[in-house]
Amino acid sequence: MKLLRILSFRLFVLLPFLMAPVLVNAQSDPTGESPVTRTYAITNATIIPSPGAKIEGGTLLISDGVITAVGTTVNIPDHAQVIDGTELWIYPGFIDGMSNTGASRPDAMERPNNLFTPDPPNDYAGITPEISVVEQLNIEESSIESMRKLGFTVSHTVPYGRMLPGKSSLVLLTDVEHVDHMVLKENVATVSQFVGAPGSYPGNTLGIMAKWRNIYRNAELSKRNTEMYASNPTGLARPANDRVLEAFYPVVEKTQPMLFNASSLLEAQRAMRLQNEMGFNLMIGNLEQSWKIIDELDNNNVSVFLSLDLPEKPDEIDDEDKSEEVAELEARRLEFYNRYMEQFAALKAAGIKFGFSTMDVSNSKIKKNLIALQEFGFDSTDALAALTTHPAELLGINNITGTLEAGKMGNAIVTTGPYFSSDSDVKMVFVDGDKYEYEIKEGSKTEVSDEVLDAVIGTWNYSSTTPQGEQTGQLIFTNVDGAIEGVWTSDAGNPDIDMNNISYRDGVLTFDIEFDAGGQLIEIVVTGDVVGNEYDAEASIAAFNFSFPLMAIKQDPEN
Amino acid sequence: MKKLILNLFLILGFSSVVFAQVPKGDVLIQNATVLTITNGTLEDTDILIEDGKIKSIGQNLRQPNNVEVIDAEGMFVMPGIIDAHSHIAGTSINEGTSQVTAEVSMEDVVNPMDVSIYRALAGGVTSIHLMHGSANVIGGQNETLKLRYGTTNPDDLRFEGAPRTIKFALGENPTRGGRARGIQPQTRMGVEAMIRNAFNDAIEYRDEWAAYNANRSNRKIAPEYDLRMETMVDILEGEILVHCHSYRADEIYMLMNVFSDFGIEKLTFQHANEAYKVAPELAAFGASASIFSDWWAYKLEVYYSTAYNAAILTRNGVNTSINSDSGELIRHLFHEAAKSQKYGSLSDNEALRLITLNPAMQLGIDDRVGSIEVGKDGDIAIFDKHPLSTYAIPQMTFVDGVKYFDINTDVADQRIMIDPESTIEDVVIFSREDHDMCMHEESIVNFYELVNEEK
Repeated sequence: MKLLRILSFRLFVLLPFLMAPVLVNAQSDPTGESPVTRTYAITNATIIPSPGAKIEGGTLLISDGVITAVGTTVNIPDHAQVIDGTELWIYPGFIDGMSNTGASRPDAMERPNNLFTPDPPNDYAGITPEISVVEQLNIEESSIESMRKLGFTVSHTVPYGRMLPGKSSLVLLTDVEHVDHMVLKENVATVSQFVGAPGSYPGNTLGIMAKWRNIYRNAELSKRNTEMYASNPTGLARPANDRVLEAFYPVVEKTQPMLFNASSLLEAQRAMRLQNEMGFNLMIGNLEQSWKIIDELDNNNVSVFLSLDLPEKPDEIDDEDKSEEVAELEARRLEFYNRYMEQFAALKAAGIKFGFSTMDVSNSKIKKNLIALQEFGFDSTDALAALTTHPAELLGINNITGTLEAGKMGNAIVTTGPYFSSDSDVKMVFVDGDKYEYEIKEGSKTEVSDEVLDAVIGTWNYSSTTPQGEQTGQLIFTNVDGAIEGVWTSDAGNPDIDMNNISYRDGVLTFDIEFDAGGQLIEIVVTGDVVGNEYDAEASIAAFNFSFPLMAIKQDPEN
Repeated sequence: MKKLILNLFLILGFSSVVFAQVPKGDVLIQNATVLTITNGTLEDTDILIEDGKIKSIGQNLRQPNNVEVIDAEGMFVMPGIIDAHSHIAGTSINEGTSQVTAEVSMEDVVNPMDVSIYRALAGGVTSIHLMHGSANVIGGQNETLKLRYGTTNPDDLRFEGAPRTIKFALGENPTRGGRARGIQPQTRMGVEAMIRNAFNDAIEYRDEWAAYNANRSNRKIAPEYDLRMETMVDILEGEILVHCHSYRADEIYMLMNVFSDFGIEKLTFQHANEAYKVAPELAAFGASASIFSDWWAYKLEVYYSTAYNAAILTRNGVNTSINSDSGELIRHLFHEAAKSQKYGSLSDNEALRLITLNPAMQLGIDDRVGSIEVGKDGDIAIFDKHPLSTYAIPQMTFVDGVKYFDINTDVADQRIMIDPESTIEDVVIFSREDHDMCMHEESIVNFYELVNEEK
């Protein structure tokens, strides 16, 4: 929930135990796993063909990738695989408005020797709008399966990177042999974010805003120069080629929107400030704080993808003797929790059609958060619209997908009950007409193994010797729905930081934390041995090629 | 220069920025001792503010309908305090990665939700000069703000119509940044060369665009647009006031020579601890100084200092202000001003000018604020005692006639945005050593500087 770009990852050791999908769609298949037919009829199911509609005892027919019939009287062809849908529910496949799903994070670029920090190469500066995310897609990326298992069939995938990481694509979450086959639509938007280059220009928001304006203005000039030259070069100095500026041409022409990754209120306001100055079409994704700018988002015609990374409901101190001041502070914190949760209904009430972004939320929380919103005036129909019809419209694919209608792409979710309830499970997902089936385990949840539970879960008091002296605080590891999550606290009063990439294997505990030093993301990787209740680790900061020792002692849970 | 380019962009078609509407208030303050700054001290006097402006000043003013009346009998009313050097209310302070970043602007990083704004209001401050840091030679453009606390919209804090200003920096800070990165400047000589080079580049840039614009009828390839050079040209043309971080007399004198060579007139030296050594020269140039009352010795170049700086500069006819450069000092600038009476015996009015009209002049907003006069903005601070008294406590603070601080209705928790996942125990007491100072984020250079912030 931190505005830092922090993700919670499942523990690596648990990955092999996750439920495995049934592979489909191999062209020539010596394993014999390819389906005998691509025609599927799910009969006698409760079908939600679009938000707010419902067909009881209906049949969904998908044939060769396309929905061919939805309804109560459907002729089922002989070659169809018939699936008894009694007690099953069928929904349109979900669309993720903004994520990195399917993309692999490229290796961090090493700091070039003799880097001239005022004017670094574009790739180091993070200015690569000409790159397509297709270059980062990887058919083996585990996020494809983990998001599909939640019901997502299409992801609006953005590239990893810094200020201008590249162009987004709409990606089908299918298992295919070549990344090209996953791509539903390439170069949907040019992506911007407020992420500076480590120790070089633009280093933070100040430089990013100025550099952004400079690029845009030059793109306008360059486009004009280039067109003039193309129409008649005689007598003209040849305009210089510039891939960065050329990548902006469709944005300048307003044929392609600019998608800002802007989680905070201030970042969203900055994106709209640039839009007001330049006049491009704006999308804002990963937004966590929208309630104060609803009118502006509406007036500026911004396409919005709200983050599904919702805050945890704050716990109140359970102590009768707590001071009045603490009680007041708790009340105000709760008031802000409510604002976060109520913003979805508020945007809806303002008539804004928005989608969701799963970018900064851990998979285990997505469904839980969608259900939690029902208590805040945002019901299952609203949630379904934000997962299907609204993003389809905002992303220009509502003629292809987003509903269960004859003629649309075969993207559907089959569940054991209403999706937006805690006791239903996803049984099948159809993507592009291919079936992915999931085993439903009765009452079983993935659990953190006893070994991990004993060794890691709990509260550790750490001390660390840094150049500014002794630093102390706590490392708090908890078991959240079968995944380890961790929080780094500081006795110096700095805000708590969620840990990422927690792993425990063969007695080695590793995690990393990221914090924002004025727009520059600093990552500290901590790794070391756990022996009994002692953790002897080294913390390193790659950006500064610097490391320091960290020791922690696990608290006795009895105390 | 902007004008030349503007025509081109109008052809290309882009919209302009829309300014937000900010609240304006009406209030009648009665029976106060009014410290006008420009018209002496008026006893038993009323001030009527209507629609955010001072409408009348006098005795027994008629009370209009539906206007809040404040009985200020026994109290002292002064113009809202203006801090010409502040780093509160900004999410970033230094773009220190390059030694010339004239193109960046603090207006992009205004954080209206910073509680420090409220703390400043509680010290009678109504306007601040949110400055870029001193990590580089030509830093970013600053932003003059009115402390309209309570909004989440950064634009609501803008001092609408205030001239543009920019930060320059001399001495140890920019040369340390240069040495850390292995780039120019690494010495004071390098600093001067960089400034001269930047202006010469700007002249070339201006000429290139002037030639392009001179004959628009021909088909021509437009030159490259450079926001950095655009800004430098605007400085040369007097559209941007320069505020230069400096300590030593020799470098202060150096910059006046450079500016004389390039014909730039509007110059204020920030910190300027050794300005007293070149006070007559500053006066002759027409440069101003914005200084600390008695803060020094935090690095080598700041040892040769005196608490008489303000008085010596004032007596030499240099427009002088006292600033905070700190989220803590900003709460008691009236005490800082009073020190100039202990050290240098300035009159009450001269001391108060150091934190009102003088900084307003340095920021080019003296037609709007800095004194209590009919027609000026209703930016007012009310104290229970004379503000130069050690015992004075601010009572109320108004911006545009709207009350933003009232000691009688002061709510403890003034946060505008709260993280729902924050822990309640974490009460962070403000630390003077690590917040809101010039070298904030200069830390990007290396880990050691990350943990040793300096101004």
